Amino acid sequence: MRLAQRLLRSTAIWVDPMSFRPFTSESYAQDDRPEAWRDVLAAVGLQPAGGHSFFDGHATASHRQTAGVALTRMAAGAQSVGPLARANEDLPIALMPVEDGMVLKTAGGHRIVPVGHLLMLPRSGDWSVVFQRDMRAIVLSVTSEALHGRLSGKPRLGEPRVVPTSGFAEVFSRLLDATARTLDALSDSEWNLLAQSLVDLLLTLAHQLAASTSDAGASATQAALLHRICQTIERRLDDPDLVPARVAQAEGISERYLQKLFETVGDNFTHYVRERRLQRAWADLSSPSEAHRSISEIAYAYGFGDSAHFSRAFRHRFGLPPREFRQQEAERATVQHGVAGQRGWPQEALAQLRAHQSVEVRSRVACAGAGAPTTAERRHHHLPVEASRVHWGYFSRSLPPQIEIASGDTITIETLTQHASDDPELMISGDGAAESVFGWTPGKKNVDRRGAGPMDASVFGRGAGEGFGVHICTGPVAVKDAQPGDVLEVRILDIVPRASRNPSHAGRVFGSSVAAWWGYHYNEFLGGPKPREAVTIYEIFEDAELPHARALYSYRWEPQTDPFGVVHATYDYPGVPVAPGTIKRRHAVLDGIKIPLRPHFGVIALAPRELDFVDSVPPSYFGGNLDNWRLGKGATVYLPVSVPGALLSVGDPHAAQGDGELSGTAIECSMTGTFEVILHKKADLAGRPFADLSYPLIETESDWVLTGFSHPNYLAEFGAQGQSEVYAKSSLDLAMKDAFRKMRRFLMNVKGLSEDEAIALMSAAVDFGVTQVVDGNWGVHAILSKRLFQDAS
Amino acid sequence: MKHVTLPVSPKTVHWGYFSKTVTPALTLRSGDRATIETLTHHANDDYERMVQGDPGAESVFLWTREHKAVARRGSGPTKGPFIRGAGEGIGVHLLTGPVAIEGAEPGDILEVRILDIRPRPSCNACHAGRCFGSNVAANWGFHYHDLIEEPKPREVVTIFELDTSGEPYAKAVYNYVWTPQTDPDGIVHPTIDYPGVRVDHATIRKRENILSGVRVPARLHFGTMGLAPSEADFVSSIPPSYTGGNIDDWRIGKGARMFYPVAVPGAYFSVGDPHAAQGDSELGGTAIETSLTGDFEFILHKKADLGGTSLEGLDHPMLETNHAWSFYGFTYPNYLAALGADAQTEIANHSSLDRAMRDAFRKLRRFLMTVHRLSEDEAISLMSVGADFGVTQVVDANWGVHGTIRKNIFRCD
Repeated sequence: MRLAQRLLRSTAIWVDPMSFRPFTSESYAQDDRPEAWRDVLAAVGLQPAGGHSFFDGHATASHRQTAGVALTRMAAGAQSVGPLARANEDLPIALMPVEDGMVLKTAGGHRIVPVGHLLMLPRSGDWSVVFQRDMRAIVLSVTSEALHGRLSGKPRLGEPRVVPTSGFAEVFSRLLDATARTLDALSDSEWNLLAQSLVDLLLTLAHQLAASTSDAGASATQAALLHRICQTIERRLDDPDLVPARVAQAEGISERYLQKLFETVGDNFTHYVRERRLQRAWADLSSPSEAHRSISEIAYAYGFGDSAHFSRAFRHRFGLPPREFRQQEAERATVQHGVAGQRGWPQEALAQLRAHQSVEVRSRVACAGAGAPTTAERRHHHLPVEASRVHWGYFSRSLPPQIEIASGDTITIETLTQHASDDPELMISGDGAAESVFGWTPGKKNVDRRGAGPMDASVFGRGAGEGFGVHICTGPVAVKDAQPGDVLEVRILDIVPRASRNPSHAGRVFGSSVAAWWGYHYNEFLGGPKPREAVTIYEIFEDAELPHARALYSYRWEPQTDPFGVVHATYDYPGVPVAPGTIKRRHAVLDGIKIPLRPHFGVIALAPRELDFVDSVPPSYFGGNLDNWRLGKGATVYLPVSVPGALLSVGDPHAAQGDGELSGTAIECSMTGTFEVILHKKADLAGRPFADLSYPLIETESDWVLTGFSHPNYLAEFGAQGQSEVYAKSSLDLAMKDAFRKMRRFLMNVKGLSEDEAIALMSAAVDFGVTQVVDGNWGVHAILSKRLFQDAS
Repeated sequence: MKHVTLPVSPKTVHWGYFSKTVTPALTLRSGDRATIETLTHHANDDYERMVQGDPGAESVFLWTREHKAVARRGSGPTKGPFIRGAGEGIGVHLLTGPVAIEGAEPGDILEVRILDIRPRPSCNACHAGRCFGSNVAANWGFHYHDLIEEPKPREVVTIFELDTSGEPYAKAVYNYVWTPQTDPDGIVHPTIDYPGVRVDHATIRKRENILSGVRVPARLHFGTMGLAPSEADFVSSIPPSYTGGNIDDWRIGKGARMFYPVAVPGAYFSVGDPHAAQGDSELGGTAIETSLTGDFEFILHKKADLGGTSLEGLDHPMLETNHAWSFYGFTYPNYLAALGADAQTEIANHSSLDRAMRDAFRKLRRFLMTVHRLSEDEAISLMSVGADFGVTQVVDANWGVHGTIRKNIFRCD
């Protein structure tokens, strides 16, 4: 009895229950990244190509493996890779570029491999693959372990081969692509099934290639024949009368030759068939999708007529009886993910955009030093808001700065909420600045571009910029001497709400909150009409005891015709003035309810490096739409500088927001902030809490708040598709993973803890919360209380 | 009103499961109070500090070749041969109880008030009066398949001491990497797969001076509190569900009032999984697991009296503190009903924060509409601007997101 249990235990590691492994460079300190990346490559038989320096930039990969099969989809910067020195007997590596082409270098010269082609690479030899722009590729590595004793007939490729994807190769590459995209969502049984199919297809393709070589000798022909025979056997394992004579006959060869073929690979027919039957039964017994079949059914399906005999054979081969084995396997775990709705760029539109890359604004920042104070003393600046001082719905590295300030200066920045147009009378009328920004008549629209979309509104026809990004951002502010690699510290010294300047409401403060179509609730209303958008107008009270907001009235969104005549059936374009006559106001809403204020800026951003026009909605490494109410007065955010001058923009002012920002917006209320801006040069970062920073780091009086996202750097991760993909793949599960990795890195690198200490501390003392579930790139933050370290030296 | 004490002993605990079939350890009436001792199931991670010399703990953890005081640990099979042991560790928490409440019927709500929580000091002469706990970065932790240092994977036990001389806090004492442990029945546990296996300290390597200078603020609470579900006779204590259980919210501490829907006659309340501190998410798989004793008051709210109160329409656990109400969203709000016969193991295949967030949203919306009489549009606007959603735990198979709404929002004219 006990012995049986021991046996059971010793076999418990046969199947890795969680074979999916995500990789992101975010987990690692800068110095550790090359080594970590080397591991990712090694898992699929690759390594950085000789002489090429290690890659240490942003990289992500999803990797999944099962015995002998490893599939990785990777996204990283320019680099070149070559074979990991290893025995030559395994199957060739299949490598497929996903977005950009690549160059194959061999002794014979260079060859460009376009997207849509497949590379079959021998395990050794003098070749390398160069990704000149970004590396986006899928790599499949199969070793003989995957064959579970199956004979492959050893197809050999002397040279790397470029395979155009047509015919059989197309089927293979499509399955490869589809599998690689869904690696994280597949259950173990689904993955194992797909992995086996990929092995079969790869084998066949490799044989085709080997046999088609002009100098292929008799051995290649033999190998191909053996491969075909093995496939026949695989199809007929259920046949109890699967004997050499019949197989030989079917292939038109003699039984003696058949046996000889098996001898060439050191096996014999009977043993091979038995091994394959047991292996397939093993696979079925471990698969939850086969759980409805009895053990004897499975035995019978693989040609075992007698289940007692099967049980003995199975136990003899694998060390424990099929029943116990199956029970043990039944406990294995898998992970699943959900999917969400979509905002921003549609995929097709992005594809078109790429064809004729926009060069609309290319005026590079050329103002450094112009009129800037050169004195060492700290200066205060004021950046008022008006049409020419805002950019609406996007961040851009190409915008000319509004002002240049020096490190240590303070600056007061006025911001407007893009929701002021929800009640123009309360929030725009009489306010010259707001009137200038929102100014829009049939003949003139003061701020035409709203969003990162096309100016001709050729995607949806909503308006210039298409509303792919909605926030009115004031700026950008250039910071003298800021260079990529530096860190900008932005301290929020004060936040003051902007009162109405309409004489009828002068001095009162108003805000708006919209339960919008991008809200978390939108697809599951209880009552009708379904779906609907609702706007609630709030008044803000700076009450000394409890500053709070109270609802004034609400209305359901009705189709609004903008001054250019475009009808907006939903809230799909920012700043469309709501005509009071078109809506029905409901009073006495949220009666008796006071919402405590949490004034903060939803958007604090530096210009991203990747593109000229970046949608303002998804937050990312550069900051942006963080929507974390902890970014209020007294808080500081540290942001990595990506472009010269840093180009700081502020907007999306909020009077109050809950963790989650569930309906899609906060209480959106125009406010003016005063900031102190400190530049930390790259060379001086060592030893600081924000050294090695690749994400927005928030510091409050009591806490460190780290920001995790579904996709920490979606622009780099998804490349050209980023602005669409980021909306398609929103997930708290992914954001939680990112927050965990960032906090681990912070505790290890900044606080000097070991990984084990960091994880123990995260369990016992770090609070993870939901930041927002409405900005495409969903957020989970991790809060580390400074109290924990008050004793530490 | 009476006040009784329920000490721990093999007769007053059940290990790793909730059950409507266990004989109650105590029967109370609505309004009664009880002092209930609880033990952490991690005490054997350091027997010398957390078990030795403590008669209650020694009696519960007693396990020799001849005698295992509490044989069943988990809702799994109780007839051998076992893979891990009786109950198979499908459920791990040492629970004290159940406490039956006279007159409780399905459809009622049981309110449990936590009046006080005190740590259970070590009785070992060498450590007398000091309080210890264990935190395990375990195989069910969120980090387990995403480690960056070698060896991968590994399980790590960190022993903490709780200092209550001033503002209470915990400090790490030492840690060690789990090594295969052989239990008295001869079964080897290569990973932490069965609760209460005494760790042989000759097999491990202690690492001192860890987390030096770090003070973890104490948040004394009970990770697992709840009522017996009706669906099955033995229900794993790991996944939280509609009758509560392993919610693992550190806010369920002193001063908290928990409300649970009664699913079986007598309600059958059990409590355990005491924690000295935990962060939102319980990332590594456990909190600082420390034996605690609590003072509780039980109030039964009959079904007929719920209308018009904050309990109207409640069919899941709710927390009320002085400042806020919290609602617990789970991947599956009632996984036993949703996942069928294999629910207790199947739930681990579905863990997701995305589903838990969805559930928390729905529960909070229901509360605002039913209890505070808001329209759906009002409720959604209020949730966006005034409610906070946080990650409760990502380690209990049925993952949790809580939605919290502050009371002062409603306190006006």
